[in-house]
Amino acid sequence: MPQPYVVRPDSAFLGRILDEGGEDAKKCFQCATCSVVCELSEGGRPFPRREMLWAQWGLKDRLIADPNVWLCHQCNDCSTHCPRGARPGDVLAAIRREHVLHYAFPSFLARWVNQPKYLLFLLLIPALLLGLAFVSKDQLAGALGISTTTPDTIIYAYWSQLPQWLLIAFFVMFTGLAFLGVLAGVVRFWRAMKAADALNRFSTPDKGIFPSIVAALKSIFTHEQFNKCTTDRARATYHMLAFYSFIVLFVVSLWVMTAGINPLVGEGFAYPFSFWNPWRMVANLGGAVLLVACALMIRERLKRGEEGLKNTFFDWGFVWLLLLVAATGFAVEAMHYMRFVPQRYVAYLVHLVVAFALLVYLPYSKFAHLIYRTTAMVYVEHAGKNGGAPVVAVAEPQPEESVEIGEQQDETEGQQGDTEDQQSDTEDTHEAQ
Amino acid sequence: MDSAEKKVAVWICEGCEIGAALDIDALEEVVADDCDTDSCQSHPFLCSDEGVEAIKKGIEDGANALVIAACSPRFQVDTFMFDGCLTDRVNLREHVVWSHEPNDEDTQMLAADYLRMGCARANKAEIPEPFEAEIDKTIMVVGGGQSGMTAALEAATAGYEVMLVEKQEQLGGWLTNFAKTFPKKPPYRDLQPVDLESRIAEIEQNDRITVYTGATIEKIDGQPGQFDVSIKTNGNGAGTQFRAGAIVQATGWKPYDATRLGHLGYGSCANVITNVQMEELAASGQIIRPSDGKPAQKIVFIQCAGSRDEEHLPYCSAVCCRVSLKQALWVRELDPDAQAFVLYKDVRAPGQYEDFYRRAQEDPGIFFTKGEVVSVQEGSNNDLVVDVEDTLIDKHIQVEADLVVLATGMVPVAADGEAIRQFRDAQGVVAKGEEGVQLEAAKETVVNLAEHEGTEILNLGYRQGPDLPVLSYEFPDSHFICFPYETRRTGIYAAGCLRAPNDFDACREDAEGAALKAIQSVELASRGGAVHPRWEDRSYPDFFLQRCTQCKRCTEECPFGTLDEDEKGTPEPNITRCRRCGICLGACPERIVSFKDYSVEIVSSMIKAVDIPDEFEEKPRLLGLICENDAYPALDLAGLNRLQHSAFIRFIPVRCLGSVNVVWIADALASGYDGILLVGCKSGDDYQCHFIRGSELMGTRGANIQEKLKQLALEDERVRIEQLSISEPERLVEIINEFAEEIDDIGMNPFKDL
Repeated sequence: MPQPYVVRPDSAFLGRILDEGGEDAKKCFQCATCSVVCELSEGGRPFPRREMLWAQWGLKDRLIADPNVWLCHQCNDCSTHCPRGARPGDVLAAIRREHVLHYAFPSFLARWVNQPKYLLFLLLIPALLLGLAFVSKDQLAGALGISTTTPDTIIYAYWSQLPQWLLIAFFVMFTGLAFLGVLAGVVRFWRAMKAADALNRFSTPDKGIFPSIVAALKSIFTHEQFNKCTTDRARATYHMLAFYSFIVLFVVSLWVMTAGINPLVGEGFAYPFSFWNPWRMVANLGGAVLLVACALMIRERLKRGEEGLKNTFFDWGFVWLLLLVAATGFAVEAMHYMRFVPQRYVAYLVHLVVAFALLVYLPYSKFAHLIYRTTAMVYVEHAGKNGGAPVVAVAEPQPEESVEIGEQQDETEGQQGDTEDQQSDTEDTHEAQ
Repeated sequence: MDSAEKKVAVWICEGCEIGAALDIDALEEVVADDCDTDSCQSHPFLCSDEGVEAIKKGIEDGANALVIAACSPRFQVDTFMFDGCLTDRVNLREHVVWSHEPNDEDTQMLAADYLRMGCARANKAEIPEPFEAEIDKTIMVVGGGQSGMTAALEAATAGYEVMLVEKQEQLGGWLTNFAKTFPKKPPYRDLQPVDLESRIAEIEQNDRITVYTGATIEKIDGQPGQFDVSIKTNGNGAGTQFRAGAIVQATGWKPYDATRLGHLGYGSCANVITNVQMEELAASGQIIRPSDGKPAQKIVFIQCAGSRDEEHLPYCSAVCCRVSLKQALWVRELDPDAQAFVLYKDVRAPGQYEDFYRRAQEDPGIFFTKGEVVSVQEGSNNDLVVDVEDTLIDKHIQVEADLVVLATGMVPVAADGEAIRQFRDAQGVVAKGEEGVQLEAAKETVVNLAEHEGTEILNLGYRQGPDLPVLSYEFPDSHFICFPYETRRTGIYAAGCLRAPNDFDACREDAEGAALKAIQSVELASRGGAVHPRWEDRSYPDFFLQRCTQCKRCTEECPFGTLDEDEKGTPEPNITRCRRCGICLGACPERIVSFKDYSVEIVSSMIKAVDIPDEFEEKPRLLGLICENDAYPALDLAGLNRLQHSAFIRFIPVRCLGSVNVVWIADALASGYDGILLVGCKSGDDYQCHFIRGSELMGTRGANIQEKLKQLALEDERVRIEQLSISEPERLVEIINEFAEEIDDIGMNPFKDL
């Protein structure tokens, strides 16, 4: 017999849900239309109905350990059909934001990232750090034992004042820190979900961790779930464009960065590329698609105003940043061809700053959906799509779990790591010409 | 009018397909040969100006009893109503040509029989003369709460003198306990202060209204138009007498007894209170815990506490949801850090109050969930834990509370007049102390009904009890949408929460309706007319008391308490209490009750007027006695829809199935009818019987009829009793046709050839 659940509304949590996109949460009167119209909600996990009630009650303990909120892609089928105007889709988005804030490490960073007043300050940090690196590059080189005079045979520095080795070292170090943040978030989220299951549902795993990851990735790469959303098909399409363009840029960057050591990189791969080099063309195409996808997303969010998605700083911050990264990248490329010196270096600096913000602040911004959604999807595959029927508690094999988290991490991390490099690499390429 | 002077004239209309489907000349011959009439004429279009002129000419020539053979009596009522003339309507349209094959031998025979029956009635019936009495038109209102005050003001505004009697020392009722109410005007979002003073002032300034506060009713004797009221007031202890014509009872409600809600912690936990107690707390401006006087910050509202629960009140009290919404918002207004939890079965906020519900929902400090409250437990410090199951939050949750408010329902402040009478009768038997079975039964009754002792409100001097009879859930109202405010005592109308759980606005509306009913009652009494449903009927029952055997059936069975009794048990009619249903007529074994235009003799003569063929083969004859309120209109509807039914059945409308005297059935069987169908309105808790008990009484009498059939060695199936509503013409036709087939199978009534 499970213990009764003692409900203790968390007013502060409820207040944030109401303030950050879920302002209509209290209007829900539990008719379950949302769960019925939702193409993604399945019998055993009847979101968003239950989540709506938990949200109304400010039950942070329940919601914060709930993977179901990440199964939603916010197509707003539910919000469109809600007879009460409670906008469950937007409420779930607000809850997801709470997840990002709750699991972030260190948490103060998440608070900063999600408040407009810290925006300039947060952009100033990479600018200052880059400046610091620039000023002290010789000392650094000395300390690292790098010969600043020896030109790299493969990697060609775009701007000799910010050499390739310096940028790689800089970004690897800070994205490494971000990775630690991601790792902490994922571990905490996974543990919370497991604890909540053990407490309330006593579920036995449905699938092993590895098959769960495979299933989740398959779903992610095909956008299988996202494409089921009917009210707003465009969202899935835009997301898919952004997703794949991102991957393309990632792979190109990874190849460029690792050309010296990567056995997969063939003989003909000689950097810098000419403009008509297939690698460069693919990278340019990827960048263009990303730019267009971001622009479309922004247009969609602007166009639909009150009727459509609720737009918060959390949403805007991420999508504009992504757009800026792509746009500044192309700006640098364009200025490079037009021989705008030194304007192109200014653009380059701006590009580096926004790329830094995108990558290093990933665990604290909406970009973190990448890790939490993946984690939640893996967890749901693992725990069972039925939300765990109350069966006898079975102790889970501990080692497996930890391995899982590790793998999962790597995967996500890889994706994000690539972004940064790819962007900077694109620039380098240009210089080569 | 003496029957010797009667001059019966028959008019047959040929319009609406009647002329095309029937041989009118043959019908005229039937009237000439078989009926005692002075003239018979046909007209192609009787309701036309020419037709009406022709009838008027006949009246000028001396006709005073008219048989109009045309459409249903439910149509062209005014057209065929002529001063000083008795009119009998023979329904050739709906019941003959529209529901049977045209130009058919059996249809023709049916029409001929209906004409014979109409002529028989025209010969026997007389024009009713209204009952004359001195009628006082003062309206007495019992109860000075929202409903009573409204009824008083409405009646006074309409020009009637009003006596307003209130038990408390001041007017206002529950309004005096409530500082704020839920909103009554758009946008239906904010609490509203109660403005009682201006309403009381309005009443006090009204010259037509006399207010008695601190007053109780000692006795009400008499009948509508002639109620003699004695009241006693606390102030000077003196009695006051006055006469009133009609009464609006608006004695309101009391909260359900929360001490019965032990499972919700009431009584055992200091910090469990009712919504009524909460009202006082909120009005005081601070929500504090009864146990320690500390501010309560977590307040749980348990909805349907003892409501919609077979163990307690099976009904919904309509307002508790809104009251809790109000109190939850109030709590939040008084303390922005407080949290209010509403645990409900369903939130019932009808109409515009949906907006009020939304308002409460939007408040971040008010939390709603559906669920079953299992228990309320007290922990240390008198803190409370409420266990709720089957919530959507989780299967089993616990909510911690500083204070629990039980949303208890409304119980009408009514006295069960019939129970009080039984109690008093039993007390009388016990007092006499004569040994026997009766004494034992009486002693038991005294114990069982002890709770009713001293609950009297109206103290009516009625044989059937001193207060309004109550129906289900102790409410004295009729419970049926067709008869709002009607009670089973003519001239006494229930309003407000006495009638049904209501909010303040609905009470106001109720009071307006009941006041109008009371006015109608005195106005109709003043001209000798009946009230609903036999509106304006001038006939009334006449008791030929010389032959009365004091069997008391009429005094017991009258649904309206019309008849009192003298010491021997002889009925004492109070005509203005009568609704003219004729149940007394049906009840009387001595057949001493009759109306001028409705009597045992009149209906018997109609039954016997039918020409019964000697041979059964292909010509059985069935009699249908159908209630004029639902079954007869349903048969009209069947005709309108051209639904065909057996041509072997002859229908006679009766005032109520309860007015069917068993002798009619005996007469019919003796006359050679092969079967008898009785159709009335629905009985039971959700009765539609316009006289409340008619169909039910027929059911009881039906048992006696079956007994009689057995004695005569006749088949049970020859008499069938059915109940239906006005909206079931298809079913009625099915019943008729099935019955005809069944009788065909059983065969001939063996008394036919005798």
